[in-house]
Amino acid sequence: MIKKIKASRSEKIIFVFLILLGITTFYTYFIVKNKCLFIKSFDPKSINFEKPNNIAILNVACGNVIIELYPNVSPNAVQRFITLIRSNAYENIAFHRVLENKLVQAGDLEFGKKGNLNYAKIGTGKSGLGTIKSEIDSKFNYTKGSVGLARTFKNNTEDSQFFIILQDEPLYEGEYTPVGKVLYGLEILKKIKNQKNSEYILRPDFINTFKMLN
Amino acid sequence: MYLIRATLLLIFFITPIKANTIYNLIKIPNLEIYKIDTKNKLKYFYAARPFRLGTQKNIICSNPNKKDLDMKYKTIYKNLSKYSSNYLKKINLKYIVLCENLSISELYTAGIPDNTMKTLILDIKFNENYFERVIHHEVFHIAYLQHKEIFDDEEWIKFNKVQFKYAECSTCTKKLGLDTYGKTKGFFTEYSMSTPSEDMAEVYSHMIFLKKKEINQIRKSDPILNNKISYIENKIKEIDNSFSF
Repeated sequence: MIKKIKASRSEKIIFVFLILLGITTFYTYFIVKNKCLFIKSFDPKSINFEKPNNIAILNVACGNVIIELYPNVSPNAVQRFITLIRSNAYENIAFHRVLENKLVQAGDLEFGKKGNLNYAKIGTGKSGLGTIKSEIDSKFNYTKGSVGLARTFKNNTEDSQFFIILQDEPLYEGEYTPVGKVLYGLEILKKIKNQKNSEYILRPDFINTFKMLN
Repeated sequence: MYLIRATLLLIFFITPIKANTIYNLIKIPNLEIYKIDTKNKLKYFYAARPFRLGTQKNIICSNPNKKDLDMKYKTIYKNLSKYSSNYLKKINLKYIVLCENLSISELYTAGIPDNTMKTLILDIKFNENYFERVIHHEVFHIAYLQHKEIFDDEEWIKFNKVQFKYAECSTCTKKLGLDTYGKTKGFFTEYSMSTPSEDMAEVYSHMIFLKKKEINQIRKSDPILNNKISYIENKIKEIDNSFSF
């Protein structure tokens, strides 16, 4: 006759503890470590766009961010932006300024290149194409996902740096030249590395590729 | 060398984050939005907490209480609504900061114009008697600073009697009275006698504030002020042809 052995109370506690330990280990190693888990990446080929010629695809660590450019709002700025995208100038360029859930900024082609980062000068670099005039007169709502060209304190100093806002910023209207808006992938941008105590980032995330759809 | 570099980098990366949008735009801390959707696109902020500015932190202003702020905002808004967005753009004025007990190097002042940052800081507790006119006085300073090439101090000085001399600076004199003279003799107020730019600002603010009839009367009775008024009128037209006093 087989005698059924009942688990003692302490054995039950150890069993529950081991299960909890297993869950914690799994969570730490697979979920917490992988910042891109549960973040949806978008395949532009599976989406129908109204104006495919104005679509740009920014590829970063967690996937594709799909941006519609607005040449009718800021023709010169968009022209500059497309020129730089088509020449692959933004590839391997750092997101050097990131404000958590507020803004990501990239595009310093001179001091923000992977392997050649210059922390002392990042954010002040040039593209070599010269500055362009600010286009800030058109009405444009800086809602979250808006893409604008960065500048110095003075107008007409826009070059290659751009920012994408992750929250509405009504004060940006009339201040910064808008170039477009994120259609898909804003959550991906929220995963770009930020730093709690500084808006400039040590060992930043980089743009993998930035291409026009057509 | 490495140690200096490392220290610099450390300072660079541990600088406290100031993610406030208003601070990023105009470099004044502790501000919050009061009203931003105005007809002439002026954006009004108020000091939620006291702030200090300048390299020596010599500009100080306190946060106003809500009741005073609401009351004074109406007056300021009414006066600044006289300016079109086109004119404001040309003189580079976009942000109005409202605070209380504004001082620079411990001297109380009605306003501090900063055309570079497109900002005018206004003390809402400034003397009631001159408050409205002083708003326009400060607007003129923005225009003057933005268009220094248009306004010529030397030309202006020639309007006065030969023996008259302005002070070295606006705070280097005891002539600070802002009461409008009953009988003008080339100057609207005592403060007009401080410096050419303050004199211009006083003429401008009176041109905005007084009735056309009163200005015409002054023009007829005071040939010096007549010249000064014509000068300001022409210079402002140079900035914005559509502007009318």
